[in-house]
Amino acid sequence: MKLNFNLKYALLLLFVAMGTFAMAQRTVTGTVTDAETKEPLIGASVAVVGTGTGAITDFDGKYSVEVPEGATQIQITYTGYSTMIQDIGASNVMDVELSAGTLLDEIVVTGYGTQKEKEITSSVVEVSAKDFNQGVIADPAQLLQGKVAGLQVYNRGGDPNQQAVIRLRGLSTVGANVQPLVVIDGVIGASLQNVDPNDIESISVLKDGSAAAIYGSRGSSGVIIVTTKKGTASQDVKWSYNAQFSTESAVNATQRLSPTEFVAAGGTDLGSQTDWIDEVTENPFSHNHGLSASGGIGSNSSFRISANIREKNGILINTGYDQFNTRLNFSSRAFNDKLKIDFNTSYTHRDQENGYTEALRYAVLYNPTAPVLGVNSPFPFNSDQFGGYFETLGLFDSFNPVSIAEQNRNLTERREFNYNVNLAYDLMPSLTVNFRVAQQRTDINNNQYAPTTANFRGNATSPTRKGLAEFYESDFTFNLYEGFATYLTSFGQSDLRVTAGYSYQEDDFFDKFFSIGDFPNNDLDFSKLIEASQDLNNAGFIGAGSNASPTNKIIAFFGRANFTFDNAIFVNASLRREGSTKLGVDNKWGLFPAFGVGVDLNRYLDIGGVDLFKVRLGYGVTGALPGQSGLAQEVRNIVNDGATGAVSTELARAANPDLQWEEKAEINLGVEITAGKLSATLDLYNRDISDFILERTVDVAVFGVDRRFENAGKLNTQGLELALNYDVVRNSNVNYNTGIVLSTYKTVLEEYVLDAETRANLGSPGQNGTNMLLVKVGEEIGNIWGPVFTGVEEGNPVFADVNGDGQLITAQDRALDPDVDFEVLGNGLPDLELGWTNQVTIGDWSINAFFRGAFGHSLVNTFRAFYEPRLSTQSSYNFVNTDKAVDGLTTARFSSLYVEKADFFKLDNLTISRRIALENSAFTGMNVSLIFQNPFVITNYTGIDPEPNLVDQGSDVLSPGIERRNNYFSSRSFILGVNLNF
Amino acid sequence: MNKFLKILFAVAVLFAIQSCTDLEEELVGDVTTNITVEGVSGGSGGQESTPLSAAYAELRNAGTANHGGYYSVQEIPSDEMVICAKGGDWFDGGILIELHQHTYGPTHAFVNGTWNQTYGAINTVNELLAGGTLDANQTSQARALRAYFYWRLLDLFGNVKLIVEPGVDVAQSSRSDVFNFVESELLAALDISEVSSTMDLTNSPLGTDASAYQINQFAALGFLAKLYLNAEVYTGTARWAEAAAAAGYIIDSGVYRLCGEGCTVANLGKRAGVEADPDELEGFAAVFAANNEGNPEHIFAVFYDEASAGGMNFSQMNLHYSSQFTWNFDAQPWNGYATLEEFYNSFEDGDARKQASFIVGDQLDFGGSAVLDYASDDGNLVLSYTPSINELTPNSLREAGARPGKFSFKQFGRPDMSNDFPVLRLGDVYLMRAEAMARDAGDWSMALPDVNVVRERARVSALSSIDADGFLAERGREMFQETSRRTDLIRFGKYNDAWWEHPADPSDHVNLFPIPFDQIQASGGTLSQNPGY
Repeated sequence: MKLNFNLKYALLLLFVAMGTFAMAQRTVTGTVTDAETKEPLIGASVAVVGTGTGAITDFDGKYSVEVPEGATQIQITYTGYSTMIQDIGASNVMDVELSAGTLLDEIVVTGYGTQKEKEITSSVVEVSAKDFNQGVIADPAQLLQGKVAGLQVYNRGGDPNQQAVIRLRGLSTVGANVQPLVVIDGVIGASLQNVDPNDIESISVLKDGSAAAIYGSRGSSGVIIVTTKKGTASQDVKWSYNAQFSTESAVNATQRLSPTEFVAAGGTDLGSQTDWIDEVTENPFSHNHGLSASGGIGSNSSFRISANIREKNGILINTGYDQFNTRLNFSSRAFNDKLKIDFNTSYTHRDQENGYTEALRYAVLYNPTAPVLGVNSPFPFNSDQFGGYFETLGLFDSFNPVSIAEQNRNLTERREFNYNVNLAYDLMPSLTVNFRVAQQRTDINNNQYAPTTANFRGNATSPTRKGLAEFYESDFTFNLYEGFATYLTSFGQSDLRVTAGYSYQEDDFFDKFFSIGDFPNNDLDFSKLIEASQDLNNAGFIGAGSNASPTNKIIAFFGRANFTFDNAIFVNASLRREGSTKLGVDNKWGLFPAFGVGVDLNRYLDIGGVDLFKVRLGYGVTGALPGQSGLAQEVRNIVNDGATGAVSTELARAANPDLQWEEKAEINLGVEITAGKLSATLDLYNRDISDFILERTVDVAVFGVDRRFENAGKLNTQGLELALNYDVVRNSNVNYNTGIVLSTYKTVLEEYVLDAETRANLGSPGQNGTNMLLVKVGEEIGNIWGPVFTGVEEGNPVFADVNGDGQLITAQDRALDPDVDFEVLGNGLPDLELGWTNQVTIGDWSINAFFRGAFGHSLVNTFRAFYEPRLSTQSSYNFVNTDKAVDGLTTARFSSLYVEKADFFKLDNLTISRRIALENSAFTGMNVSLIFQNPFVITNYTGIDPEPNLVDQGSDVLSPGIERRNNYFSSRSFILGVNLNF
Repeated sequence: MNKFLKILFAVAVLFAIQSCTDLEEELVGDVTTNITVEGVSGGSGGQESTPLSAAYAELRNAGTANHGGYYSVQEIPSDEMVICAKGGDWFDGGILIELHQHTYGPTHAFVNGTWNQTYGAINTVNELLAGGTLDANQTSQARALRAYFYWRLLDLFGNVKLIVEPGVDVAQSSRSDVFNFVESELLAALDISEVSSTMDLTNSPLGTDASAYQINQFAALGFLAKLYLNAEVYTGTARWAEAAAAAGYIIDSGVYRLCGEGCTVANLGKRAGVEADPDELEGFAAVFAANNEGNPEHIFAVFYDEASAGGMNFSQMNLHYSSQFTWNFDAQPWNGYATLEEFYNSFEDGDARKQASFIVGDQLDFGGSAVLDYASDDGNLVLSYTPSINELTPNSLREAGARPGKFSFKQFGRPDMSNDFPVLRLGDVYLMRAEAMARDAGDWSMALPDVNVVRERARVSALSSIDADGFLAERGREMFQETSRRTDLIRFGKYNDAWWEHPADPSDHVNLFPIPFDQIQASGGTLSQNPGY
């Protein structure tokens, strides 16, 4: 009753206060500058403390903010600078100087809330927009490439439609989902493809288990938290437009014989001289445009709306995409500012021309004396059958690359839509409750057309069954409902914040596939006229299929406490209890605890010149769920018996009711030092991943099928990450800041379903049964395994008797024999990764040079393994010809000869930009930049791209280190960028 | 305010409770129970639908006529078939050379594949039998079919687990126990206690229906004949008389006849522009043709159909890429399997079986023009298969080796062929009886009458004398490409001899394949390896 009375009283007071003072407002203006250089700070955030109003500084560092009567302080924050709170005096002009260099009070987005950076006891790195990689970014993950120690982002080659492979602290899982959990504006499991890089304000990466444990069974592969840009209340509408125009060229195409060399080497001379790579590549023009408006609606609402258009073309002709993206962020306060409503929605529509990377593969190995067109054939050739193109008939695995690039179409249309509503209500000054409802839909269409004259996939050699159309469609829906409450209290020198909540996530997936062929000719556009297919008259040719997931649900209860003592000792603890439908009936629920402690030792040691000396220790448990559904259950295949028309089933996978999530337990020790111009962060970690979900070979006699999913195995990863930042020069005219991030780790397989196995088949032609990777208990992941090449004898490779027992065992299926003469030929994972940022500002000019390197990894150059030996039987293929070629070798067999060290150091990005003041115009600022992407690479690797390949064939994470023949060539880009504010 | 709080709290609690416990996973997109739907109108095979359709379909899944399973491990290790490494092509880590040279080990992919496919087939039959829906005849068919699959394991691996209920593990059996099991299951299916010349099958649940797609009493007897013929290899004890009796019963029943003169089918491989191509295939060739359904010689056959019952890929496996234009194939062949020259030469000219079994010489396309190979490695642009093969590895010529063509190809053929594959046919049964009688009497001349029946159909002159080697050669000519040669060579003690690119085996442990390494690991110690590996 007492509480009741107090509440009513307080409410009454509030209403009275509102009624009395609502009309009394005034406007405060000012300039925010750097304390040392006196340069204006653009985009600094100015907020009136205790109200929803605020503003962002313009290009001259100026702001203007409505201050309601009763407000006493303004808070100014700017990334990279100390946050400042100033009392509002009588004057309506408040100029503020911010000191740079210390990041002590920066607010960092963590799970279900924010924390002051200083109070964080786990390894969390936030990268803000100004530090993102510049240039034409196809995938938001690339914004972070090389910027965060321990975060690997690799996008090999220049395929505009390929998504980057992302890894945090190495391999976190073997059989489950290796993609990091993405959280966008609080929406767990959101799609990175539905955010335009232009709209991102900052990205936080939760690196260790104690930070990620609040996300439970999906946190093991890392958590990436994206915050999008917002508007500011009480501010005029501001417009921003930016555009980039780029062109690029292919680099590092595989080296091969010229037509003359080819004929001299005994190749079949077909009379022409064709540079096939020239024929299928181009220097494409790409551009993108982003337009946004942001501002306030009155004093309690704000918005930001943006539209982004991207047209990107690849170096392979007829590849690229067109993308349209729009996003609306709206924020408002009601009920005396007690209720805060955030609404955001975005939509992305992307049309892709994927093309076929086979066009590049065959461009490397196609006979360089073959003509592009059949009319130039040295012998009678029926060009019409192949759409006018020449084809070397009678050869295995050989297709005219120009015909592929020009005739075959591979199109994807992707639509993503999401909305997200978050209500936050302050029940009491110290207690806030949050409710969130979010939905995301992703629809993908993939249509592939091989015309009747296409030799590749179109079966043009067949007299009867030419042309093929394939249709694929998938729908994915994700729903999220969450509620949580946060309670704040202080006593004495201590602060305590407690958060508790509930989360419900569900997703549904459905896809269908349909293929049909045998079309009369190309005069009919059979993409729109599939009834022309003659397959309709012949049984057995029409392909169709569908997949539907069950409604996958994740349900969780979670809680967290953050305790601060003396602004120097920080303790964080969290617990999440979470269940998933994907697991076995007896193992659906699990518990994910975390604990962390941090101490700012400098508060007690008070070392001269040192601003911060923080030591922190965190421990946390996270999980990983299987990517697929139904792994715990028995699954059967439909058997259509054509002989009788009967339908029956056969066992495809045995059930495992005990299946549970993979579990990762990680301990992280961090040291953070800031001393004047230098800041450094060192993290050491140890992670044990156990029970990974793997399809295991089981006794077929007992189970009826030799596969089922089990929890088996253990991985240990130990690593070190170091980030250093130094202000070399900082004065009123010149700034030079340099930063370096270094990371190294080692992953050892401690237990596995088998004692040892080999993986990653080299493949056809002729090198099936040739597994190149060794997976062995007690050894590192990524070991490349094979015979050691020592020389040539009668055209055949000679291998070393590695164990010296006088007996040479090099047959591939003896790879695991104790007497085999194989050795570890390299490792696909780098020992050391490096990112080095250099930012120089001179007056209105700024130069940003970003270097990146990886060292210690090897790659199998499969182009060489297949096509460098001068095979007498393949005189009509071109040969690969690098400086590593061995004279006289006429037999292709995998060995150390094709495993190359792929250390590299590259200038990844060079940006030169100039700020242009536009006096007396409608524009408030302009920025012009020139960007060079990938201008040079230093490496001895002879293949297409020396960057580590973490995943083989798109899915096999245990087989890093193989460059397959279907790689898109790397490119070098030149970009002109313009940014206008008005 | 307080009311608002309460409502808010109540909503939150309701929301949480309603959904917090339900984590059941309903696999709407997968099949999780064994369903059976009988055919309505009959499929393209026009066969009667029975609950056993899934079980018989396993014959196609179990590698009977494609690459990488049973067919490959029965044929490539023998002296009638080989896959040569052609420069970069078909080396495949050496596993094909290992098969031919008998250096295979427990990690051989094809050995593993054969084991898994065969046990997968057995599981399907076990599930049917456990389902309890079969009548007496169907139960007998299922048990006989399972016995046939176990016979394959007996012949290939010897010491295996005899699983008869899904999911119920048992100890590994010795080869002779597996033999006894196969024998007893077949006898039980026939409802007799032993095979003899006086046995009475009138009450056998297995009928005498002549459809080759189901197991009748003659098929079960044929399996027994094959089992007894190899009994000495499997158990050390010969059972010749029973083999002869079982084979004799089939022949004497008169239900089947050899497809000889006047037994014809249309020649689906005929090229419009090649006059030499006959309009019809007659006799031996008709037994294996693409339209060989219902051939009078078939006792038990695997149904294949290009559209509805795939799994026979001989055109792909055997022919050169450019041979696509001879038959107007839907897809480019792979240029893999070929015949050893010596084996090819064991056929005399005029033997109908030679003509029917091989593709050799210059190749013509549909219109009668020479098929060209622009990537020729022998200096001759015309595609021409030569019986001689220069070497096994590394640079066998692309056109070297006569190509197996017994299961003849049809025009406009697809990667999956439509020829039925006879598991048991009368020609085989004649030779089984001939061999069993000769060995039982210790006198090879006892084999002559049946041998000459088979030779007459092949349009070659009768023999007046024969010995063991002569008999094996005759059996080789008759049974080429029918997955019989490895078993025959072992029974005749020839499997370990030297032949082209196959040095004599240092040890006869290779007569059994190794138990797959993966399966030994997966079995948790309940499977032990065969001796010698």
